[in-house]
Amino acid sequence: MKALNRRKLISVSAVLAVASLTATAVPANAAEVGVSSSVIKLGMTLPMTGAASLGYNKIPGAAKAYFDYLNANGGVNGRKITLVVKDDRYVPTEAVARTNELILKDKVMALLAPLGTANVKAVASSVNPGRRGVPVLFVNTGFSGFADVKKYPTTFAILPSYIMEAKIMGQYIKENFAGKKIGLLYQDDDFGSDALAGFQTAGVNFAVKVPYAAGSQGAAAAAGWITKFKAAEADVVILFGVSSATSAMLGTAAVLKYAPQWMLGSVGGDATTIKLTGVPAGVLYNAIGFSPVPATTDMNDEYIKLFSDIYAKAVPGSVFDLNVLLGMNTAFMTAQALKAAGQNPTRKSLIAVLKTKGATLANSALTPVGYSANSHVGLTGYWIGKYSPAGDLLPVGGTYVTYTTDSGSGAVVKSTYKRPAMPAKGLPN
Amino acid sequence: MHKLKPRAHFALFVIFGFLLFLVGNRVDELRVYQGASIAVFVIAISSLILLTGYSGQVSLGHGALMAIGAYSATLARNEFQVPIILTFFIAVLAAAFGGALLGAAAARLSGPYLAGTTLALAIGLPSLANQFSILGGEQGLLFDVGWPPLGLGEDFTQYKWFFWIAALAALISTWLLSNILSSRYGRNWRAGRSNEVAAQICGINTGRSKILAFTISAGIAGLAGALLSMTIGTVSPSAFPLALSFALLTGAVLSGVSTLSGVMIGAVILVAIPEIADVVAHRIGSSENITTNLPGFIISALLILTVLFVPNGPVEQHRARAAKKLAKKAEK
Repeated sequence: MKALNRRKLISVSAVLAVASLTATAVPANAAEVGVSSSVIKLGMTLPMTGAASLGYNKIPGAAKAYFDYLNANGGVNGRKITLVVKDDRYVPTEAVARTNELILKDKVMALLAPLGTANVKAVASSVNPGRRGVPVLFVNTGFSGFADVKKYPTTFAILPSYIMEAKIMGQYIKENFAGKKIGLLYQDDDFGSDALAGFQTAGVNFAVKVPYAAGSQGAAAAAGWITKFKAAEADVVILFGVSSATSAMLGTAAVLKYAPQWMLGSVGGDATTIKLTGVPAGVLYNAIGFSPVPATTDMNDEYIKLFSDIYAKAVPGSVFDLNVLLGMNTAFMTAQALKAAGQNPTRKSLIAVLKTKGATLANSALTPVGYSANSHVGLTGYWIGKYSPAGDLLPVGGTYVTYTTDSGSGAVVKSTYKRPAMPAKGLPN
Repeated sequence: MHKLKPRAHFALFVIFGFLLFLVGNRVDELRVYQGASIAVFVIAISSLILLTGYSGQVSLGHGALMAIGAYSATLARNEFQVPIILTFFIAVLAAAFGGALLGAAAARLSGPYLAGTTLALAIGLPSLANQFSILGGEQGLLFDVGWPPLGLGEDFTQYKWFFWIAALAALISTWLLSNILSSRYGRNWRAGRSNEVAAQICGINTGRSKILAFTISAGIAGLAGALLSMTIGTVSPSAFPLALSFALLTGAVLSGVSTLSGVMIGAVILVAIPEIADVVAHRIGSSENITTNLPGFIISALLILTVLFVPNGPVEQHRARAAKKLAKKAEK
């Protein structure tokens, strides 16, 4: 009887497996995958739930808000844009599985703004959008490696690299804090080694360097870091880590009444995210910060004004912060690239247009974009600001002074870049 | 106890393997990829069933043991250019070694203490990768098993290659495992699980038997880890989060933790849930909040329903009902 059961069981599971595997049929291929006569389909995976989703889970809502606005105003050459969003929980396995679904089942034309270096690497290796010819637009990580055209032929970076940021910070230190003792807190992995490389190129000598392992940052660890910075009598302390490291450090420092001149890297410098961890915004006051896009409270900026209006209508009650701005900016750049890619855009023409015209596409950033035939480098610089008592990053002296550089040995120069005027109504022209 | 003859048992696995081969050739790439993921989960869940269902030990840290397997396979591949098939053996050995160490500690612990120890391992171990630069930090290392052999034809995709490797590994490991479980060792484990004192009186060294269970279970988990990193092409600490260990436990409970035969059920469910959730969310035209939280909700609901109504898993339940029917018939 047992034997019968086992046999029955195996046959049942076999039938189940066959059924589950063949449940959905393969749809026929259109002229270009993800592009129909009325719709262009794009896909995005990012952490929507879980610890790492904090702040980032506003990005899809922001991108959708812009696409909805665009669709209501005629779309791109008459086609509406739909964005399929999937939650990868910041786990590479999930990112690969969900990206496979986007490409193979939902049949999206291109991937938008994937987030996290480990995830983007896993997707590049397993799903291999490069070999499939699927564009991966505007990856949300500052790891300089993704701009490597040979390794990632269809991937375009957008954030300035960590090396660029460290070089610009180094320049600022030399100009403003000559002779002062500098301390550095950095993450002990590629993120940190990119930063160290940048500071070395800039010629910064540190009185003390404190590495921390990703995942180890907390109030107890922060107390240990402070002891080291105090012992070295650091006048300026650079926090080149993730938001949780910044908030652990600033929160603990406020309790211990430790107040050097803080300088925050852009990754860990988003005020809204820091506030979400429970640290009061006031601790950010007077810290020096860096950003490639205008201050999110700057209503004199045409992009900020339009984007925040659109966002307020689409997602009432949600704060317009850096993640929202970056999400909308990504959607805005994508719309323009699609428009420039011709009446019937294809994956190929989209990639080609980013190589030829990508650097001239209008976008809200105050620093130039580095796309060319053999470069997929995104934004190339920062403006320098100070945090207000409310925790908003505002430009020093009231005007944006931007610096630009590269990820190699190039000099840091004051940028002469003039941002192109916003197309009428913020729609692609 | 009535059983299939070993030869018939083996033949069943071969037939099932042939069936998988046929299916693999007829479905699209996404299904093939999902098939590979199911195979990986089958292996991982079966290792947990061996440990929990048969030897009666709890592990909340199997994700960490998978990580040991994945990292050792990757290092062997990247640093010493070991042939791909050997990397999987290395993964098994390395994880088994880790499991033996853990098992030695585990044999002295039970219940919540064991759960706590393995939980700590699941949280702590993957972040070790951030301490040693050879392990690639948060960004991880590439794990490239290479292109499928040219002899298989030009249309043979990378994912089909993954599926073949993973499915073959799953068939072999499940076959081996089912043999071990019906051997003397399997009986010792069950005896120790049911009543440790009684088992000791019968002459079973329950401590050693538990360590052995942990070692074998860890080795199999290591294999699953190496295969997992093959399917995603990389290995990084974030691929082995605490949630993975919990998902495996969930899969084991859904499969029926006390019998290996249902292991497919849990694996299929774990892979299918996000897709089912997607379909459901579309049907009810829901908001983003529902879409992102639905998979977790479905899994939790299934878990609760299973524990409430089929605590021993669907397979065992079915068997028990059949046995009851048979007994009734005999009475008449």
